[in-house]
Amino acid sequence: MASVEIQNVRKAYGDFETIKGVSVDVPDGAFVVLVGPSGCGKSTLLRMIAGLEEITDGTIRIGGRVINDVEPKHRDIAMVFQNYALYPHMTIAENMGFSLRLAKKPKEEIASRVTDAARILGLTDYLQRYPKQLSGGQRQRVAMGRAIVRNPKVFLFDEPLSNLDAKLRVQMRAELKDIHARIRTTTVYVTHDQIEAMTMADRIVVMRDGVVEQVGAPLDLYDKPVNTFVASFIGSPSMNFLAARVAEDRKSVATENGIRLPLGIEAPAAPGTAVTYGIRPEHLAIASVGEGVPMTVTNIEPTGSETFVQGTVDGQKISAQLRERLFIRTGEVLNLALAPTNSHVFDAATGMRLG
Amino acid sequence: MLKRKRFIFAILAILPTLAIFAYVRLYPIADTLRLSLFKWDILSKRKPFIGLANFRELMGDHLFLDALVNTTIIAFGVLFLTIPMALVIAALIFHRTRSRMAGFYETAVFIPHVVSLVPAAMAWKWIFDARLGPLNALLTFFGIPAQNWLFDPVLSVICIIVLCSWQALGYAVLIYIVGFKNLPVSLYEAAKLDGASGPQSFWHLSIPMLKPITLYVSVVTLVSGFNVYAQAFVLASDAQGAPGRQVRVLVLDMLENSFRNYRVGYAASEAVVLLVIVLVLTLIQFSMLRERSKA
Repeated sequence: MASVEIQNVRKAYGDFETIKGVSVDVPDGAFVVLVGPSGCGKSTLLRMIAGLEEITDGTIRIGGRVINDVEPKHRDIAMVFQNYALYPHMTIAENMGFSLRLAKKPKEEIASRVTDAARILGLTDYLQRYPKQLSGGQRQRVAMGRAIVRNPKVFLFDEPLSNLDAKLRVQMRAELKDIHARIRTTTVYVTHDQIEAMTMADRIVVMRDGVVEQVGAPLDLYDKPVNTFVASFIGSPSMNFLAARVAEDRKSVATENGIRLPLGIEAPAAPGTAVTYGIRPEHLAIASVGEGVPMTVTNIEPTGSETFVQGTVDGQKISAQLRERLFIRTGEVLNLALAPTNSHVFDAATGMRLG
Repeated sequence: MLKRKRFIFAILAILPTLAIFAYVRLYPIADTLRLSLFKWDILSKRKPFIGLANFRELMGDHLFLDALVNTTIIAFGVLFLTIPMALVIAALIFHRTRSRMAGFYETAVFIPHVVSLVPAAMAWKWIFDARLGPLNALLTFFGIPAQNWLFDPVLSVICIIVLCSWQALGYAVLIYIVGFKNLPVSLYEAAKLDGASGPQSFWHLSIPMLKPITLYVSVVTLVSGFNVYAQAFVLASDAQGAPGRQVRVLVLDMLENSFRNYRVGYAASEAVVLLVIVLVLTLIQFSMLRERSKA
C-alpha cells in the first residue's frame, strides 16, 4: 500500500491543454473518486497515474517515489478498465494469473493466489471458463480479480460500472466497497456518476475542464459546495438556482418581483448585491396556506415513495422532492417552505460560494 | 402476392450475373469433371468414355507425381515463409502507425502483390542469376561459394518459394494490418500494466487473437501456392526451351499434357486432382472457423 501524490500535473496535446495543473493527495489506504462530466480530464489523469499517458508537466509520486518516467509495469499499480479488457482467448484463471506468469512466479504460487482472489470474489466455480461465457457482473469481478492477484500498491478504476445495468451497478458498488474495506488498498476511482462517487468515496475530487473544482468528503461537498458547478454536479436531482438580490435585513434574498427566500445565516454581501440562491429539491417542503414561496406547478412525477414536482417561482425554474403524495394539477400554485439552514448563496457573477 | 412478386423480381435482377457466373465458373468446372472421364486429343471427333482410367494412369505417372510433390512443397514452403513474416511485418507497421512513413511501408509491402508477374519474375531471375546476379555477388563477398540457383533442382524450388512469398506477402500483411486494427487497444494497455513487453504482448495476445485471420490467410496463400505456374515458368524454364522441366508444377504439367501432348482428358483429370486438393483445404478452413465460433 502507498499514498499517491499528484502535484501540478499538466497534460497537453500540442497546444491544447486537457489537464491544467492538478494537485491531489490520495492518502495511504484511501478510496478517492475523481468525478466530473465527460471531457473534464479525469480519465486522462488516471491514465497518467497508470503510465498509459505521458505527463507533460508536474510530478506524480506513488509511495513517495516519483514515477513520471517509470514503466507502467514497475509502478506497482493495477487497473480495471471500463470494458474490463479481459483476454478473450484465456480462461478466467489464466486471465487472473497472467501478470504473475509474466513475472515468472512458480506455478503453485500463481495457482494459490488465483484461488484466493477467486474466493474473495466468488469466482471459484468459473475459473476454467472463458470471459464470453460470463455475465457482465462476473466479468467485472474477473477484472477485479486480475487486479487483486497482483497485490499492487494502488488500484485504479476507470468507470468500471458504467457497462452494467442499473440494478447490477448498485450491487457491484456495494461489493467494491466491501472489498476495499477488507483489503484496504489505496484506490483511485474514476466515474462520471456522482451517486457512485458519493456512495463509495472517502474523498471526492470534482473536476471540470482539466481543473480541480473541489476536494472533500462526500457530505462536505454536498453540504458546502464551493461553487455552483459543484453544487449542481453533486446531488440528484441537482440543486435549484434562483437569481436574487440580498435584502435590506441581509437575512433573506429577494427575487426580481420581491419574493423572499430565507437564509440560514446573515448574507455575507451588502444589501442589493446580485447573488445566486441555491437550495436542494429535498430541502423543500409543503408550507401552510398563506406562507412560504408560491410555485406554479408545470410537471408532477410520482415515484411511489416520493413525488417530484417541477415548476416556476417568479418565472425561474425550480424542482421539489416531496415526501407527500400530491393531488395537484399542472398550472396550480403550491406553497413551498424553504429550509433556511440548507440554503446556499453564490456570487452571481463568479458562481463562487459566499460565506 | 406482393412477396411472390418481389421474389420474382429479385431472381430476375440477379439472373444476368448468375448466368455469367455459371458460364465462366460453373460450366468449366463441370466440363472438366466430365472431360476427365474421356480420352480426347482436341482434334478428333472420337471421344471415347474410359471411366477412371485417366486417374489410374496418373497414379503411376512420374512426371505428374513429381509435379504434385513439387507443387505441394512450394505451396507449403510459401505458407511457412509468408505467414510468420507477414505477422511480424504487420505488427511492426501497425505499432509504428504514428510514424509518418507508415503509409510508405504499407504500400512498399503491397506493391509486389499488384505488380505484373512476368517482369517481377524477370527481375528475380536476374537476382538469382548464377554469373551476373547480385545474390551470388553478395555470397562471394562473404566468402560463400556462388550457387547455381536456377539450375539446381533443390535450389530452384527454393527460388520459386522466395518469389511466390515475396508476392503473397503484401496481401497477407494487408489483411493482418486490418486484423490488428480490430484488436481492442485496452487489451494491450491491460497487458502493459500486467507487465508484458512488446514482444510478449505480440506472443500472448496478438498471435492467439489473430487466429481466424491466420486461418484465412493460410488457406488463401496455400490455394494460390497450389496454382503456381508463371513463377516456375519464368524462373526455371531456361533449359533448352523446355519450359518447366526443371521445376515441374501441376499447372505446367496440365498445360503440357493438354496442348503439347494433346491429351485433354488426361489433363482434365489432373485438374480434378488439383480441384479436390483446393476444395479439401477450403473445407478444413471452414470447419476450423466454425469450431472457433462454437467455442
